[in-house]
Amino acid sequence: MSLAFLIPAAFAALAALLLPLLIHLARRSEQRPTQFAALRWLRQKAKPRHRIRFDEWPLLIVRLLLVALMALLLARPVLHGGESHTPYVAVAPGVDVAKARAALAQTQARWHWLAPGFPQIDATPEAANASLPSLLRELDSNLPEDVTLTVFVPERLDHADGRRIVLSRKVDWRVVPGVMPAEVAQTTPSPLALDIHEPAKPAPGARYLRAALRAWQSPGQPAPGSVKHFAWLEAGEVPAQVREYARNGLTLLLDVDAKFPEVSAWTPLWRDEAGSALIEGAAYGRGRVLRFTRALTPQAMPQLLDATFPQYLRDALEPPAAAPSRVPSAEHAPLTGGPTFPIAPRDLQPWLALLIALAFLLERWFATSSRRAVAP
Amino acid sequence: MNAPGTRIADFIPPAVRARLKDLRLTSRRAVGLQGLGLHHSRSRGAGLEFAQYRAYEPGDELRQIDWKLYARSDRFFVREAERESPLAAWLLIDASASMAQEDKARPGWSRLSAAKGLAACIAELALRQGDRFGLVALRDDGVRLLAPGAGLRQRDRFLLELHGLEARGQWPSPEKLRPLWERIGAGDLVVLLSDGFDDGSVDVMTRLAAARREVLTVRILTAEERDFPFNGGHRFHDPETGEELLGDGAAMRAEFLARFTQARRELDARLDASGIRHAEYVLDQPLDLPLRRLFGARDAAEYA
Repeated sequence: MSLAFLIPAAFAALAALLLPLLIHLARRSEQRPTQFAALRWLRQKAKPRHRIRFDEWPLLIVRLLLVALMALLLARPVLHGGESHTPYVAVAPGVDVAKARAALAQTQARWHWLAPGFPQIDATPEAANASLPSLLRELDSNLPEDVTLTVFVPERLDHADGRRIVLSRKVDWRVVPGVMPAEVAQTTPSPLALDIHEPAKPAPGARYLRAALRAWQSPGQPAPGSVKHFAWLEAGEVPAQVREYARNGLTLLLDVDAKFPEVSAWTPLWRDEAGSALIEGAAYGRGRVLRFTRALTPQAMPQLLDATFPQYLRDALEPPAAAPSRVPSAEHAPLTGGPTFPIAPRDLQPWLALLIALAFLLERWFATSSRRAVAP
Repeated sequence: MNAPGTRIADFIPPAVRARLKDLRLTSRRAVGLQGLGLHHSRSRGAGLEFAQYRAYEPGDELRQIDWKLYARSDRFFVREAERESPLAAWLLIDASASMAQEDKARPGWSRLSAAKGLAACIAELALRQGDRFGLVALRDDGVRLLAPGAGLRQRDRFLLELHGLEARGQWPSPEKLRPLWERIGAGDLVVLLSDGFDDGSVDVMTRLAAARREVLTVRILTAEERDFPFNGGHRFHDPETGEELLGDGAAMRAEFLARFTQARRELDARLDASGIRHAEYVLDQPLDLPLRRLFGARDAAEYA
């Protein structure tokens, strides 16, 4: 365990120690005039003593301490090597702790949940969709190199990364029976449907949308019952009834000529290679309003002819669903060879601030107590 | 509460006044002689023991006229008797500037305040036993003198005189002290209240004692002179000579105390050699302590 200072130059502030010293320096130059009739028997000393003296020692010491502590605070002290070196055992939520304890022979170890904040094993971890590999990497970077890490995971792992975790140390990867808690809110992607409204004269862009709609639907899949997306390909102002649909949760896809005056701030949802927006969107009531920024013709918007158009349109209409992230734990043991990080030293500033507050209170108590005679 | 001496009547603290009961003003020169009063006397006045008749003079009290003799002789005669208490007590107060010195611990109680209190106590004793008492304030700008007398009105005059007394200047030169020799008669009691720092005062005392006056003295010291409690730098100022001395109190303490004690011891020896009764009074002591030493039961026993 060693002490270090991040800003050693701040020790120049120790020069402020002179201030209390000067304040407390007994004012020797002051010669109090004293009436003294028996002067005849008073003899001047050949050499009067000129020893430096200070008034009120306790108060002076407290004030010096206060100034020194403040200089120390400015120097940002940190403590290296204060970490514990006992083995660390992380238990993923869902693992039976009793079984895990039985599985581990080691008696002296720190037991923690593999959950955000790494709560003690006695506490119940909060249900959260935290990424387990991310937690493992955090734990790995925060532990000193020589600490052995044992991880208990259930047979099936949710929220796994796309590849195996790479850590800096060898991890004792124990798989015990158990089930990870269910995800808090898991939505299954629904088949997408788009209802297209076109004016009496068929709009040229509708065929591209229909093609995209057909591309989304797999051959054997039944058409979805409820339509949540509505394409409005008529020029001019959007009727109030349609706006009302959008306000109540419908996603409205507008043609470039359609007018929707109630929305002024549009966010780009799909950009072309040059960076200009092709589809813009905005929230409206409980639903959304999207619009093409160009006419739905291959001349104005060549992307209509691309094979990726249905995919981009679908992404704009509905955010992409999460990638699969469930793996058998036994297959997902972490690899070694990851980067090692220096352990962040412990910051001593909060403790120092507390000490300064105490010293300040003590100083005020000394300075304002009624026992004092004069005030330096 | 007023400081001592701000009102005419309060020179004597009540506690001290209560303790004055068992004190008596005594003079060794009157010891052993018989008389009606406390002290032997040859002077005439009103009293019990008949001394002589004398012719009436304007201003004599009518009750003093012997009316039977008037009936016989058709002239006014006044009966005179021996005075019973003919002792005259002279209170000499040193009013030089050094008497204004006071302790830091008790501001307002200067040497002169103590001298006034002691003088008032002695006057009270004299008044109680019928002795005459007078006051002399000694200062270089003129010696103020209140002729001795007895009675309550004399006491009021005495206290009034004390009230106006202020300390300044120096000890008077020998020429200015001439009224002392003219007015103080042989056998009178002289009490000098002073700090005793002036050689002139010791001179006057020894010469008065040599001239058959009963001299007593109370040396009034401040507690700071006795203990020298100074710490740190001080500029010591002698109010009479104007000399100044810079010094560190703690460094000078031991030597000053030794020298000052030695000086006091020498002075005491000189006073003893001249037969002068003396007492020392420090400002933090009760006011009747020096009086008890001078007039206490040990000396008063000779009168019993």
